[in-house]
Amino acid sequence: MEVIHPMYRIKKLLGFCLATFILLGTVTSIAVAQPPIKKYTIRNGKMYIELSKHINTLSLDSFISHYDLNDLPLKEAIRENSPALFKKLGWKLEINNTDLFVISKPLFGVSNINSPEGKIIFAEKHPTIAERFPAEKEGLFYGYNRFKNKSSFAVNGSAVTFYLKNHAEANHVILAGSFNNWSENSLFMAKTDSGWITHVKLTPGKYWYKFIIDGNWSIDHDNMLNENDGMGNINSVFYKTNYVFNLDGYSDESGTYVAGSFNNWRPTELKMIKSATGWKLPLYLAKGTHTYKFITGGKWIADPKNDERLPDGQNGFNSVVRVGNPYLFKLIGYTTAKQVVLMGSFNRWRKDELFMNRTGNRWELPYTLGPGNYEYRFIVDGKQITDPLNPLFTNSLDKNGNSFLVVDPNFIFRVKGFDNAKTIILAGDFDNWSPYALPMKHESGEWTFNIHLNPGKHLYKFIVDGKWIKDPYNKLWEQNEYGTGNSVVWISN
Amino acid sequence: MNKYALILLLLTFSIIRSESNAMHLVKIPSINLYYEPIVTSDSADCVIPFSRAGNLILIKATADTTVGNFILDTGAPNLVLNLTYFRNYVLTNKDAETGGITGATTTAVTNVEKFLMGPVKYYKVEADLVNLGHIENSKGIKILGLLGMQLFKQFEMIIDYEKSVIYLHLISKKERAVYKSEMLKDTSTYTTVPIEMFEGKILTYMYLAGKKLRFIIDTGAESNVLDSRLSNKIFSHFVISRRVLLNGSGARKVEALYGDMKDMKIGNQSFSSFPVLITNLEKMCYSYDTCLDGMLGFDFLSLHKIGFNFATNKMYIWK
Repeated sequence: MEVIHPMYRIKKLLGFCLATFILLGTVTSIAVAQPPIKKYTIRNGKMYIELSKHINTLSLDSFISHYDLNDLPLKEAIRENSPALFKKLGWKLEINNTDLFVISKPLFGVSNINSPEGKIIFAEKHPTIAERFPAEKEGLFYGYNRFKNKSSFAVNGSAVTFYLKNHAEANHVILAGSFNNWSENSLFMAKTDSGWITHVKLTPGKYWYKFIIDGNWSIDHDNMLNENDGMGNINSVFYKTNYVFNLDGYSDESGTYVAGSFNNWRPTELKMIKSATGWKLPLYLAKGTHTYKFITGGKWIADPKNDERLPDGQNGFNSVVRVGNPYLFKLIGYTTAKQVVLMGSFNRWRKDELFMNRTGNRWELPYTLGPGNYEYRFIVDGKQITDPLNPLFTNSLDKNGNSFLVVDPNFIFRVKGFDNAKTIILAGDFDNWSPYALPMKHESGEWTFNIHLNPGKHLYKFIVDGKWIKDPYNKLWEQNEYGTGNSVVWISN
Repeated sequence: MNKYALILLLLTFSIIRSESNAMHLVKIPSINLYYEPIVTSDSADCVIPFSRAGNLILIKATADTTVGNFILDTGAPNLVLNLTYFRNYVLTNKDAETGGITGATTTAVTNVEKFLMGPVKYYKVEADLVNLGHIENSKGIKILGLLGMQLFKQFEMIIDYEKSVIYLHLISKKERAVYKSEMLKDTSTYTTVPIEMFEGKILTYMYLAGKKLRFIIDTGAESNVLDSRLSNKIFSHFVISRRVLLNGSGARKVEALYGDMKDMKIGNQSFSSFPVLITNLEKMCYSYDTCLDGMLGFDFLSLHKIGFNFATNKMYIWK
């Protein structure tokens, strides 16, 4: 039996400790600090990320989301010890031992910061990831009013009673808004015992307004919704609602919510108000088909009073609200098929929601869509096809493409001449520059295409028999990355 | 006229070279030599209302016959026109490549016969022709151009972000040394900080951790910007709040960092927490050892009413 001298053991231990201490000391002096290290700093013109290998998942998640570091494989590096991934992203591995993971990367500048336009773009307020992908990025799907100190404006049919609380001392108050082109002298408000009122007839939608109190423009301070108009003015926002969600009963529950496709199914955003029979919430819903559920007592339920339902993909159903006139999708033939499903950009390409009905020699489904451009396909017994009746289709990753549908076009592209051309295709930011999707119609010496364009700036070109050209009739164009230029069109609100 | 402007400019440079030993100019940077436009105003004092695109100042102005919004950009030396709307203008420098996409070597220059901004009229203004499409796309607003420093050199300019107005006073030759706005009467309400004009940009200094940092005042920058290559001592005062990925050249993404700098000072005002965007500003060095350390943009300028006298090189920061 071997006997180790106690002194030798202490020496060995000391030596080990010293070695560890020196090692840690040389790599970083903070490695011994508690709790688990998570640091993001700048030194010597470089960014340093320092993470303890013993960091818990929650703490790491909050680090990643706090600094917007979702593109870095930090979780993999910590959990699976696979730091090679960072090299590709330009990061240098500084330390990777059992306790600590440290990477660095020099900060490079943007090349065109010396030009005024490069500088303006660089120094912009860059949005966070959360800000970059708001649910209603594609357009406005819904809206609701939020007032404090006073209830929402009374609505009687189309008439809305705008109400300004107090200001008894004012001599005259005028209402101005997007509904009357911000006229400063058309909507004089009447004095009441508690404030000022006036009635305005509005169709459902979103409106912006201000009060002019003795000549001074003011937002409605009792309205929690206000918006910058992009031109530097802040205005109050009012939604003329067009739908009331009602849920009878469940009065004992402390909070009841409605969530749906319109608000990206955010569960606790739209809190319902107590009503005489249960719960209610008036909402503005844009044209189109919306699916929803109620959340009460922590459970998701379909609307018991609404017979219109669609499968929710989890063996249950969502309730459905349709606003506007339906478009009839139809597929002629395929009478021996067992099942035909419609999917598209309008339902996030879900394959288990829109089952078409067979009537005689065709499959049909009425579906309500708001103004816009949409892509879709049919799935016939599992096989995806484009709509044989629709001449418009885009090229996506596979060569079959998607059918392209324009609902309520608001703009016509026109080119005169080119009488000898075989095809002219319209391509632009609105269809992802597809060189196939939008063939123009040739009629009486003119090529045209009707499309829906959102307000703002759009870039486009024509492809004449395969050759990309700028619009010869539009003198507005700007340079593109190929040096060939894109035509510019502005659509006003 | 042109000849005199040239002599004046060269003279200015030689003065900068001899007086400012802090700058160590080893080479005179290549810049276009611009005429001074002829400036008149119906009244010496005027109030120009502005609106905003994000945090940029938009001023309605007329270039010859085209009316629309221009961005006030004190970080740009000259008037800049958006090529999209002024494409048919004749170039005064024929060798320029218009619409070059890879950092064009020469900027296209043209002439605006008459430029109107409120009651102020400019005649024979030289302007750069540049594609500003990216700014339009980002802001969603039609932008006719940028109003650079050249248009304001003969003015006292007070920017009030709160009221969304700019007060301009055309300083005549007689009052050059003495003019001060009525708003500057009560000297207890503001601080005076010296500025310098360099390459048509406004330079000023801030102090941090015993270091003197050189900034340009830039209404075209929505964020304050600071150079990542400053010392570790400076960055020990910095807390990162988040990282952003920006488009670099080609498909390459470039990182920049938002955060707060502690204990920065300008004049006798100090900021316990000063928001900045950190990037590598190597490209903004104008000689081998002289660099701009950063830009003071909207995040600084909008905190207070702020004024400039370009005749006496003073900046006024209201408290």
